[in-house]
Amino acid sequence: MLEIVLTREDANTEYALLAEWLVEDRAEVTAGQPVCVVETTKATVEVESPGTGTIVQLYGEEVEVELGTTIAYVAETADELASIDARSEDKPAPKPPAGDRKATRKAVELAELHSIDLSTVEKRGFITEKDVEALIVAQKASAAPAAGQVLAGVSTDGVSLPATFELDEGVGVLDPAFLESFEHEAFRALVPADKIHALRDAGARIGDGVDLGEGSLVAAPRVVIEDGVRLGPRATVVCEEVVAIGERSQFGPDLELRCRRAFLGAGIWGGRSVRFGGGGHRDPWATLTVGDLAFVGDEAFVNVCRPVLIGREVFLTMRSMIVTHNIGHSVLEGFENRFASVVLEDRSQIGLGAVLYAGARIGAEAIVASNSYVVGEIPAASFAIGVPAKATGSSSHKLSDARRLDLARRMIDDLHELLALRGHAVSAIEEGDPRGFEIDGTRVAFTASYRGGIDAPAVVLAIDVRGDVPDGVAVLDLLARRVHGSGGVVLDSVREFCRKRGIKLEPGPWSYPGGLV
Amino acid sequence: MSTTQQKRGVQVLNETLHAIFAERDDVVLFGEDILDPYGGAFKVTHGLSDAYPDRVLTTPISEASLFGVAAGMALRGRRPILEIMFGDFIALGLDQVVNGISKFREMYDDQVTVPLVVRTPMGGRRGYGPTHSQSLEKLLLGIPNICVVAASECHDIGALLTAAVEDERPVFFIENKLLYGRPNRRPEDGHIGELAVRESGRPYPALTFSATDFTEGSATVVTYGGMLPVVLDAVTELVLEHEIFCEVVALSQLVPMELDAVFESVARTGALVTAEEGTLTGGFGAEIAARVQEAAWSDLRAPVQRVAARDGIIPSARPLEDEMLPSVEDVVNAIAALDGVRS
Repeated sequence: MLEIVLTREDANTEYALLAEWLVEDRAEVTAGQPVCVVETTKATVEVESPGTGTIVQLYGEEVEVELGTTIAYVAETADELASIDARSEDKPAPKPPAGDRKATRKAVELAELHSIDLSTVEKRGFITEKDVEALIVAQKASAAPAAGQVLAGVSTDGVSLPATFELDEGVGVLDPAFLESFEHEAFRALVPADKIHALRDAGARIGDGVDLGEGSLVAAPRVVIEDGVRLGPRATVVCEEVVAIGERSQFGPDLELRCRRAFLGAGIWGGRSVRFGGGGHRDPWATLTVGDLAFVGDEAFVNVCRPVLIGREVFLTMRSMIVTHNIGHSVLEGFENRFASVVLEDRSQIGLGAVLYAGARIGAEAIVASNSYVVGEIPAASFAIGVPAKATGSSSHKLSDARRLDLARRMIDDLHELLALRGHAVSAIEEGDPRGFEIDGTRVAFTASYRGGIDAPAVVLAIDVRGDVPDGVAVLDLLARRVHGSGGVVLDSVREFCRKRGIKLEPGPWSYPGGLV
Repeated sequence: MSTTQQKRGVQVLNETLHAIFAERDDVVLFGEDILDPYGGAFKVTHGLSDAYPDRVLTTPISEASLFGVAAGMALRGRRPILEIMFGDFIALGLDQVVNGISKFREMYDDQVTVPLVVRTPMGGRRGYGPTHSQSLEKLLLGIPNICVVAASECHDIGALLTAAVEDERPVFFIENKLLYGRPNRRPEDGHIGELAVRESGRPYPALTFSATDFTEGSATVVTYGGMLPVVLDAVTELVLEHEIFCEVVALSQLVPMELDAVFESVARTGALVTAEEGTLTGGFGAEIAARVQEAAWSDLRAPVQRVAARDGIIPSARPLEDEMLPSVEDVVNAIAALDGVRS
């Protein structure tokens, strides 16, 4: 396919007049045949066809055309002609010129923070920060009555709420008389077993194997603490309406949980001196939800004056900080005064010391690097870093099956080496698939696909598991992240080893303190 | 965005000349290479010699004699329009202007007028080199009893040219070269793009632009002609990137200098930047700065800043030419440097 382009003849003009076509559109033309007359500032010239074929004219006559523009094609074959026709049919709509940008940078940033679509703003003139602020106020005014207070209209998209959030409101309600006479210091002084008795007697739902640490306090009109929950020494749990904690969740010493409504899931692992609360923790909108298997690192601080939704398997690592409000100088002097929720969608990860500012929303499986400062939204599955944090890439890499298999095999070799270095008597038993070792009479092996056939006692790691698991054998399905069967200290140790590679298995607990590793 | 197809400057000027010729038979047009089919170096006179062969005359390359002939025709009751192919060449005719054309009316006690129009392109940014790229309006600023009109792409270019032809005074009609190829953008519903626009003064109006519909502004930029798009780009950048809001006054009448629109704007904004494409010293900005500080000292919170070409020659090489001529960045920096602009 050949093109006929208007070429520049002199320096004075940007345009030429396409005066006349000498041939009909779609006419057959031959190389060198004059096809049109073009008037430039210097001369009137005939333009010749560059080849033989069918001419497709892109302009009419007596039109001014910018120099450098293609004014016609010459299709040398029927196929070329067809492709020209196809192209002209799905020509994309012209992009608006760059000069059409009308929202200021500040307006765009504020709009992004509040998920406002600026194309919906109807205004003659520039869209400024002030316009967006007015819009936010208007939106708040219209949204507030409908949204209710518990989640205050915050979207739960991408967030798996804990089962405790769905519990019937009548579960765990304490006797008002008990609350009336409740004294914090007296409760703290009780031995752990007596605390549980006291709460149960008053109407709280307290599961089996619950451990409330020495000096701890649990005070709320509605208390649900499921099986196996452990709160470390000196925990302070004070909620205005409800506290509900799912099974096997545990926190280290000095937990502080102050919030109007706290709904925590199952299998949460919290470090020492974790703090939920801060200014406004009694506000009508102070709701905290933490999904199953979330990790909350040492000294993490979560301010809860607006809803904070932490999804399933979120990593909120040590000393990270979530703030839901900011009070500075007077709003009437133009200073910012901000109250907004923070949402961490499922499996997102927050690095050491990162700060999430009011209004932040971290997309599912996104990673926020250590010491970053997050304002606004971080897209799902992205890696974000900086002050303020910006998405710079993807949070994970695509693994080939071969690479995944290689990593899994290496795990069993590493575990073998680790146990040997720890001084345990370990002997290699297999090469190839399955491969592994024996420790304390238990075989620990990796096989790509588990279909039975490994004798008890054994702990088997696999990335594809089918069929029944016999007694005395525990199979860890590494991809589905499930444990089939049961085992003793060896299984716990393998699980702990897996946990340190980010593989958290269900059913919990996923944290195993100590053991062989 | 405009829904109608905007005409480019050259098209507006050409159509206006055709309309003027059709309207009045005392108008004659002459200049170098203006006959069809060439129609002038920038095509402004295209089609006129074919339509009016006895009133459109091509001349030798002698600007001094062109001015002299035009003066004589104007004194004898015709309305000559001269096309000086490049504004740089007006220097060749200035003796006729300074010692004759501008003085005859008063010398002959108002018994005669010299109603001629000198149309000429000024300005660079096209790589034409030292003697075809200058903006020499400032040479005309100090000549009493003439009128200097500079069209910008946001003015009603046709109305300006028509008024110039009807004017009894000698008028220099300055056409920046970039005006020819750019669309003539006129206000719609009081706006051009996102900027609100007011038009004031006759017959050669000033346009005042505001990014906030005249509710707030931290500086005024006064400019004309081919610098207007540069200034509007700078002002737009300041709005979008920093929410700094300025007003812009685009004069079309440079001589006699009437600055009401500038005084009104400075009363709102408290600071002034001047922007011109000609060289800095003894220029448009210098004259305006002097007049504004005399008349509106109490409105100013900062010294007037001038943006202009460096005092030097304009190289042909485009990167060097860009260094010489005032840029968007120069305007942005001048505004940002004013006291009380950065918050």
